[in-house]
Amino acid sequence: MRRLVIALLSVLAFTPAAAKDTGLIFVSNEKTNNIIVIDPKTYKVVKDIKVSRRPRDMHFNADHSKLYVACGDDDVIDILEVATLKIIGKLKTGPSPEAFAMDEKRRRLYVSDEEGSSLAVIDMDRDAIVREVPTGAEPEGVLVSEDGKTVYVTSEAGDMVHAVDADTGTITRDLVAGLRPRRLAATPDGKELWATAELSGEVVVIDRARFVVIANIAFLPPGMRKADVTPVGLIMTGDGKTAYVTLGHAARVAVVDVPTRKVSGYILVGKRSWGITLSRDEKTLYVANGQGDDVTVIDTNSRKAKLSVPVGRVPYGIVVDD
Amino acid sequence: MTSGVRLAFAVLLFAGALTSAAAQNAPAPPPRQQVKIGFVEIAGDARYEPVRAYERIILKTREHPFTGAEVGVDETAAFARVLPMDFSLDRITAKSPADVAPAVLAALDAGTHFFLLDAPADAFKPLVAAVRGHDMLIFNVSEPDDSLRRDLCAPEFVHVYPSRAQLMDGLVQFAVSRKWRDLLVLEGPSPADAAMTAAFEHSAQKFGARIVAHQHFKPGTDPRERELNDPTLLSAINRDFDIAFVADDAFDFARALPYQLARPRPVMGSIDLEPVAWRWTWERHGAPQLNSRFDRKSGGRHMAGADWAAWIAVKMIVQSALRTRSADFAKQRAFILGDGTFDGDKGLALSVRRWDHQVRQAILLAAPYEVVASAPIEGFLHRTNELDTLGDDEPESPCHLEK
Repeated sequence: MRRLVIALLSVLAFTPAAAKDTGLIFVSNEKTNNIIVIDPKTYKVVKDIKVSRRPRDMHFNADHSKLYVACGDDDVIDILEVATLKIIGKLKTGPSPEAFAMDEKRRRLYVSDEEGSSLAVIDMDRDAIVREVPTGAEPEGVLVSEDGKTVYVTSEAGDMVHAVDADTGTITRDLVAGLRPRRLAATPDGKELWATAELSGEVVVIDRARFVVIANIAFLPPGMRKADVTPVGLIMTGDGKTAYVTLGHAARVAVVDVPTRKVSGYILVGKRSWGITLSRDEKTLYVANGQGDDVTVIDTNSRKAKLSVPVGRVPYGIVVDD
Repeated sequence: MTSGVRLAFAVLLFAGALTSAAAQNAPAPPPRQQVKIGFVEIAGDARYEPVRAYERIILKTREHPFTGAEVGVDETAAFARVLPMDFSLDRITAKSPADVAPAVLAALDAGTHFFLLDAPADAFKPLVAAVRGHDMLIFNVSEPDDSLRRDLCAPEFVHVYPSRAQLMDGLVQFAVSRKWRDLLVLEGPSPADAAMTAAFEHSAQKFGARIVAHQHFKPGTDPRERELNDPTLLSAINRDFDIAFVADDAFDFARALPYQLARPRPVMGSIDLEPVAWRWTWERHGAPQLNSRFDRKSGGRHMAGADWAAWIAVKMIVQSALRTRSADFAKQRAFILGDGTFDGDKGLALSVRRWDHQVRQAILLAAPYEVVASAPIEGFLHRTNELDTLGDDEPESPCHLEK
């Protein structure tokens, strides 16, 4: 998701010139209300930042000077200054913000308010909700199209993916997609939208032009029970060839060959793995394990976990400043 | 589908055609179809009397699960654009069990094909005969009685609420998985206690647990009957046991049982570790959001098993319309009883058993403030669907509805 946001922002002609490339790894922890910062070389925890309650999804702005953190139990998005590792502001959201996407050109945040069953459109400068788009129950994954004109949002309990017109704030198309759709990623060619479906244990591949489901990629690691295969997080490599999907309670990351839509392997991680991100060189994959209270660091060449780093309680999201 | 509704649809279609002809330009949107759901309950249903310590001290409030159905209907607002249908919920309160069948048939005549039935077991028998052969599905949302599934065995019914067999299988699977195989059984005086105990003993046999003693208790304080009413004496048996099972629908005896056994052993069944369809402390599979929607709708009451069953029954009806893109009852019924799978926020997808129309589902093992586990417990395997390790599997069931 982070990579996608970066890709999106570069399309929007923002140059990440000011990025300091600290390489620091940020992990949000739902139950300890903090962000744990990990040094990428030593894998030691270098900072424990107190934030508002129940931090979940996180995104950097274009130049990585700020990290935005959705905090579900205080109905705010905290703004963390990366240089000082201090909270420098908050934006008000609707009830229980979970995931969000940022469009810096329009100075907007699109926030799924889990309890409010709506997508809140927030003006980043005015700190105001300018629009609330009603969605299916429990909206979750949010993705802004490359041109900023369309916002995609999933509804977990409504089993739908909505396409929202960013200008009018109305839903233009709905699609029933698997059971309990959670997160979204777009292929770099702009043609496909991938959605993890937590309960049906699959990724649903959506043709963006026609807005129909064109394929389903099912996961079942050897020896696992289907009920424990609960895909949530996903990320694609910049070349659009490989996708990594966290499988929740199956404690695995699935590696998918994007062009053929075939599962090429499973990597062992911790339980309730959700948050996932790649280092910029794509050699390292980071996974947050919600029921392991740790982060798994994976070498993508060997597809093996290198080590795990204890963080706070119920880690949710993970991003890297590089 | 009754002819009345068919006619109404035809009229709507005709009206739609007229409108579009009049407008001449853009065709009118297709007419919105109505899917009506009846929620049937019985006034004075004893199962909903509060459990009291004394007249004015209430231990447990028990409420009809109508709010669960309302939450399910509220969720349909999100489908308004994708589905040209509106779902309505009509609460029908019958004066007595005998009044249920006439009320249901009257609603059927008015175009309702889906019913949520919130009634005790004795209300089912007259209803089964009255509705036989009619185009309707009646979702049992609150009654666990095994005989409804085994003996009444009626094709118009879908048992959304878990059977006692499912509940007790879940409980025994948990005990056995902890290697607590030696069980003390304490059975109360009511028919519900007897039914619960019978299901439990069957489960124990099924999963290889041993009943080391089976005691019948009699609630009270009469010193002449202390062998029957004193938990310590009732549990002072020669053989050791790992855990005590208590069946006490009235709850008065069960609530005083923990910490009073002759040995330091835990209690399960009617208290402490209870097998349930739903519990507000369940945290996985989207449960917190469902619980939160229910809390808001109910004004702060926590969601219980029957509430969950009413909610998922509505969701099954809605999903049958959504996935078949149809308000045609025959298609919806075929989906619900056939290939339909449903997300009940309990992990493994729910579906309807073709032999007795019991909904396959996980059973939650709930301690007072924590769901300790969900059954099927890992390791209990089944050749086709692990959920069929709970309750009456096809070979054991005397009911074979097939279609």
